Amino acid sequence: MQKILLVEDNEMNRDMLSRRLQRRGYRVVTAEDGEKGLLLARSEAPDLVLMDISLPAMDGWEVTRLLKANQSTRHIPIIALTAHAMVSDREKAIDAGCDDYDTKPVDFGRLSEKIENLLLEKKLS
Amino acid sequence: MILQNLSIKRKLTLITMLTSSLALILSSVSFLIYDLVSFRHLLTQDLMTQAEIIGYNSAGALEFKDEPAATATLSALTAKEDIVTAVLYRPDGKIFAHYFRGSTTLPSYLPSRLQEQGYRYVGGYLEVFHDVTLNGERVGTLFLQSNMRQWSIRARRYASILIIFVLVSGLFAFFVSSRLQGLISNPILHLEDTMRMVSTNKNYAVRAVKSYGDEIGRLIDGFNTMLSEIQQRDTALQSTNGELKTRTQELEEEIFHRKQTQEELLNAKHAAEEANRAKSSFLANMSHELRTPLNAIIGYSEMLEEETRDSGKIENVQDLRKIQASGKHLLSLINDVLDLSKIEAGKMVLHLEAFEVSQVIEEMVTTLQPAAAKNGNSIHVHLADNVNMMRADITKVRQILFNLLSNACKFTDRGTVSVNVEQIKVEDRDWIQFQVRDTGIGISAKQKENLFQEFAQADASIARKYGGTGLGLAITHRFVQLMRGCIWVESEPGQGAVFTVRLPAQVVIETAESAQPESAGKVPAASSETKTGLETILVIDDDPSVRDLMSRFLTKLDFHVVAAANGEEGIRLARQVHPLLITLDVVMPDCDGWTVLNRLKSDSKLAKIPVIMVTIVDNEAMGLDLGASNYLIKPVDRDRLAVLVEKHRITRSTTITDDNPVPLSYVADRPTGSKTAGTRDSRSRRN
Repeated sequence: MQKILLVEDNEMNRDMLSRRLQRRGYRVVTAEDGEKGLLLARSEAPDLVLMDISLPAMDGWEVTRLLKANQSTRHIPIIALTAHAMVSDREKAIDAGCDDYDTKPVDFGRLSEKIENLLLEKKLS
Repeated sequence: MILQNLSIKRKLTLITMLTSSLALILSSVSFLIYDLVSFRHLLTQDLMTQAEIIGYNSAGALEFKDEPAATATLSALTAKEDIVTAVLYRPDGKIFAHYFRGSTTLPSYLPSRLQEQGYRYVGGYLEVFHDVTLNGERVGTLFLQSNMRQWSIRARRYASILIIFVLVSGLFAFFVSSRLQGLISNPILHLEDTMRMVSTNKNYAVRAVKSYGDEIGRLIDGFNTMLSEIQQRDTALQSTNGELKTRTQELEEEIFHRKQTQEELLNAKHAAEEANRAKSSFLANMSHELRTPLNAIIGYSEMLEEETRDSGKIENVQDLRKIQASGKHLLSLINDVLDLSKIEAGKMVLHLEAFEVSQVIEEMVTTLQPAAAKNGNSIHVHLADNVNMMRADITKVRQILFNLLSNACKFTDRGTVSVNVEQIKVEDRDWIQFQVRDTGIGISAKQKENLFQEFAQADASIARKYGGTGLGLAITHRFVQLMRGCIWVESEPGQGAVFTVRLPAQVVIETAESAQPESAGKVPAASSETKTGLETILVIDDDPSVRDLMSRFLTKLDFHVVAAANGEEGIRLARQVHPLLITLDVVMPDCDGWTVLNRLKSDSKLAKIPVIMVTIVDNEAMGLDLGASNYLIKPVDRDRLAVLVEKHRITRSTTITDDNPVPLSYVADRPTGSKTAGTRDSRSRRN
């Protein structure tokens, strides 16, 4: 069973997304802020991270940069979730090292596809 | 001369006196002379008579040499006081007898020799010689001498009387003339007084009193007339002055108000700009804040739907679907608002990529199929063979098509929605033309006016019946503009609608440099509209810097700009390019803006082209009277100009069915291989 780390500060979104992911057969670990997300990414070694960008204190960009800078977590695919459908956000996400990008509110079908694609890529590499 | 400076009174008196005295003296003196002359003549006659008598009486004594008798005769002359000397000469000239008054000796003076019989005046004396005859024979000569005492006395008396008479009559003349000169001098003096009063007091209400109907009376009349005229003018001048003062004051107030208004306007402008910024950021924040709870609503309802379906409670699935649909609708509205706020903030950026047109069409039709099915509509697609790849912002192309198709489906009931796509070539540029045609309720001319404006649904009842924010077409319009394309609609109420979007096959992002307009002189005059596919604006201004600025500004607003440096050229260009609208300066050499405007509006082919006056002359009423659509005063408020030209563009693109919908060259240039002919269809349907 593949493990997904969901970093999301909004409790309802966290709950909703984690439950839907679980229904799809993933194990879900959740973090409500960036720092916790960073720690969990290192301790839990998830197969993929869903990263909300607007987080209190340490934001998603920062966490992504730190994860991608670390040898042990660099290989974990990260999907950034932003509320702003700004083009600059997409570029920012790629710059920060995210592997993919989606906007909130999430289209769960589309997001599942992106997750599956990244996990498949990871498995193949 | 002293006389000349005397007062008229004195002069009159003096003249009268001098004249009368002179006349008096002259007449008196002539009378005196006459009298004295005649008196002397009388005296002479008298003396001569005396001489005759004495000669007669003495003739005997002379004949008989009787000297004592002769002396006695002569002595009788004692009674005659005047006669001072009497001498009797014998014919030989010797003195025979003599008489001398007051002495017995011979006076020193005696005539040296005898004279001819007669008289003569010598040294104040009258002398008479008389021949004494007896029986016709001269016996001696008598000499008498008179001292004319009577005459002298008479002359002296007469002179005294004359002097007294002249003096008395002079006094009398003085008295009379002093009294009578007033007849002439009084009115003149009165006139003079009046004039002095007028000139010192500046009182033009005074009038001179006319006493007589003579020349002075007429002079006074003339003077009074002159005065009343001056008074009238003075009054008029004063009232004009007053008016002028009031006007000046009004103008000052007006200027003050204007300045105030200007300041207020400036403040208002800053406030508005600030408010607009605040609005944009508010909208961005709001849409973010709204998305978060929506995320939960849509997510949970989706999750619940899955779970409900799994547990077999089918009856709840429909309700959960409704929640989802509403959530997604709300989300799309929020996205629209966000899009618009981004466009307004100038943050909308194009992401150009090459893609298959057919793929996007397919995608959109698939997406819209459920919406079409809901109203019992069928969607037909016709893709011309020449349509392949295009380079544009695919997301925005998708959204444009989505908006047009969903509108078509929404406003059509059990009809057909057809999509025609073709590639056309206009002046060496390739365009992809999308045409969405429906058989729905159509759009009235009035509804077209605001069709592409934000929050302007055709009318409120439509919002109730069909839903939607009214942002779809506004966003579509903006996206088309962003990609340098154009959009227009042809429709009649109840006849369905045809929306046509034309996008460049290769969209390019225009940088500030590439957006620079061609300089006014180089702009090709003819068929420039078809060259770029943009709407053309004709700028008529004699100032090259104004032409340049306007060109730059309007080019940035996606217009093609043609410029003319004078009225004649302007009218010629207007006939050639038939622009969307014309901006017109007033103050130009040779042919001024009013004349140009007049000529444009009196030409049936040009009269419909809207004219925006752009000038320093503040005479809006005149401009509007002559038929201008709008009136801007330099320096031009660019925001206002932008709003105005945009309004005309929208009006044009929505009312294009009234006119030739596509420039003729478009039709001519259309590839012959095209199997669809949307424009032609629409026209034949109208006909």
